[in-house]
Amino acid sequence: MAEQASEYTETGRGNINRQSLISKILFFLLFVALAIIFIFPLYWMVISSLRPDGRIFVDAFDIFPTQLSLDSYRRLFAEEPFIRWIYNSIVQTGGFAIMALFLCTTGGYALAKFDFRFRNLLFILILVSQMIPFHLLIVSLFLMIIRFGMVETYWGAIIPIAASPIGIFFIRQYMLSIQDEMLDAARVDGANEYQVFWHVVLPNARPAIATLFILFSLEYWNNLLWPLIVFRQAENMPLAVGLTRLVNQYRQEWDLVMAGSALATLPIILLFLFLRKQVMQGLAATGSGVK
Amino acid sequence: MQNTINSKKKKNTFLSPIFSILNHKKIVPIIFLAPFMTVFIIFKVYPVILAITMSFQEFQGVQSQEWVGLTNYQNVFKLVRFEQALKNTTLYTIGTLLILIPLPLILAVLLDSGRVIKSTVFRTLLFLPALTSLVVAGTVFRLMLAQDGFLNLLLSNFGVEPLRWLEVSDLALPSLIIVATWRWTGINILYFNSGLVNIPSELYEAAAIDGASPLQMFWRITLPMLRPTTFFVVVLSIIGGYQVFVEPFIIYLGGAGPGDGGLTLALLIYRTAFTSFDFGTAAAMGVVLAAIIFVFSLIQFRFFGVLKED
Repeated sequence: MAEQASEYTETGRGNINRQSLISKILFFLLFVALAIIFIFPLYWMVISSLRPDGRIFVDAFDIFPTQLSLDSYRRLFAEEPFIRWIYNSIVQTGGFAIMALFLCTTGGYALAKFDFRFRNLLFILILVSQMIPFHLLIVSLFLMIIRFGMVETYWGAIIPIAASPIGIFFIRQYMLSIQDEMLDAARVDGANEYQVFWHVVLPNARPAIATLFILFSLEYWNNLLWPLIVFRQAENMPLAVGLTRLVNQYRQEWDLVMAGSALATLPIILLFLFLRKQVMQGLAATGSGVK
Repeated sequence: MQNTINSKKKKNTFLSPIFSILNHKKIVPIIFLAPFMTVFIIFKVYPVILAITMSFQEFQGVQSQEWVGLTNYQNVFKLVRFEQALKNTTLYTIGTLLILIPLPLILAVLLDSGRVIKSTVFRTLLFLPALTSLVVAGTVFRLMLAQDGFLNLLLSNFGVEPLRWLEVSDLALPSLIIVATWRWTGINILYFNSGLVNIPSELYEAAAIDGASPLQMFWRITLPMLRPTTFFVVVLSIIGGYQVFVEPFIIYLGGAGPGDGGLTLALLIYRTAFTSFDFGTAAAMGVVLAAIIFVFSLIQFRFFGVLKED
C-alpha cells in the first residue's frame, strides 16, 4: 500500500490529492445516503410506536413528529401479556444458549482433540446436516414433542434445536488452535480428562464461547418457526411468537405491534453496540470458515 | 486421621476401575461426544428418517396412518398451489441472488478500499437490520408498504403513482425482495469483508507496479481471490432463499398474499401441516424442498470447484 502511494506522488501530488478528495467526499455522501436508507425503517418503527392512538397511517409522512405519546406502550402492557413474553424470551433464550453451548463445547472438543474411528465421517455428516431445511423436520418434530409431552414447555422449545452444526463447527475450529502440549502438561500433572477439559480447555476457549453465547442468544431471541409450533398458549410464548399473535388477530392493532417490535429490537441494538466487535467477528468467522 | 486416610484409599481402589475406564483413551471422546450426538440423532437424524417415511403414508389424525406408496408425491406435483409456490420461491431466490451478491460485494470492496472514511461506522450501520427479528422486519415493512404507507407517499412526492405493493400479485415478490435486501445486505458485506482482508496486499502492490487500473485489479485479483467467500454466500443465499417463511407469513398476515403471489414452499408446507393437518403431503413437500436444496448446493460445489481442491 505504501509503495502504491509513493507511486502516485510522483505523477503530481496536488492533482491526485484534489481528485481523491472529491472522490472521498462523493463516496462518503453515497454511504451516508445508504446508511440513512437502511436505518430509516428502524427509526420509522420507533416514531410509529410513539404516535398517538390511530395516527400511524394518517401521519405516515410526518417523520419528525412533535406530538409523541406512550399510549401504545401503556396499552401493550395492559391488554397483552407482554411482560410474560419478555420473561419467556429471556428464560428460553438463556436456556437455549447454555444448552447449545454445553453440547457444542463438549462435542467440539472431542472432534478437535481426539482421534477415533469415523471422526471425519461424523464431522462431515454434521456439517451436511446444516443443509437440511427445517421445514422437512417440522411435522416429525411436532409429533415427537407430542409423544414426549413437551408441547407448551420450555424444554420442547429448546432441546430439539440445540444441537447446532454451525456451533460445533465454530468451537472445533477454535479448539484446534489450543496446543496439545498444554493439555499433556496438565495430564502429566495428574489431571484426569475431565479436569483437563474444565480447567484447561474451557478457559482457553473463552473468547469463542463468549462469541457463540451471543450468537446463540441472538438466534433464539429472533427465532419464530419452532416456538410458533411449540406454543399455542399466550402465557408461554416468547416475544417473536407473541408479536405474530398480535399480527394474526382478526383486527390488527398496528400501534401495539410497533410498540412491541420496538421493545423487541432496541435492547438488542443497544447490547450490540457494546459487543459489536465480538458479534461481527463471530458472524464473519462462522461464515468464512466453511469452505 | 489415620482412619480417614484409610477409608479414602479404600474408596479409591474400589472406584479406580471405573475411573480408569472413564479416563481411557478410547472412552473419553465417546463421553464428550455423547450429549451432542444424542440430541443430534434424536432431533435431527431420526426426524429426517421419520419425515421420509411419513411422505409415503396417509394420516388419519395424529395416531393412525397407512402406507400409500407414491400417492403423496403424485398429489404434490398435481397441486396447482405447489407449482405456484415452487415458481414463487425460485423467482424469489433468483431475485435475492441478483441483488444480494453484487450489491454487498461492491459495497464491501468500496469500504475496504480506503476510499471511504469512517468505514467501520458504515459497516455497523448497514449491519443493524440484521439484528432485527424477521417478525419485526415483516411488521415494519407491512406498514411501510401499505397503500397509504410511507413508501407510496415518498414515491408520490417524486410524481410516481402509488403502487399497491400488498394487493397486487405481481408486486408480492418485489416486496419480499425489498425486505430481504434491507435485512441481509449488511451481513453479506460482513462475509465479503472477511474474505477481502485475507487477500494479501502484495498482489495489489505488484499489480500497481505493472500499471493495472483499479477496475483491472477488481476483475483480476479481487473477484478470483474472493471465490471461496462468494461460493459460501451463494450457497447460504440459496439455502435461505428456498426456506423463506417468516417474511411472507407476517406481511400477508398468515395468508399468502393476493392470488397466492407471496406463497412460498415453506409457507405451503407449514399450512399443509398445521392448517390442513395433512402430514403425509406436508412431509412429501418437505422431501422435495430438501432435494432441491441439496441439488443446488451440489451444483454450486461443482461450479466453484470446491470439491476438487480438497
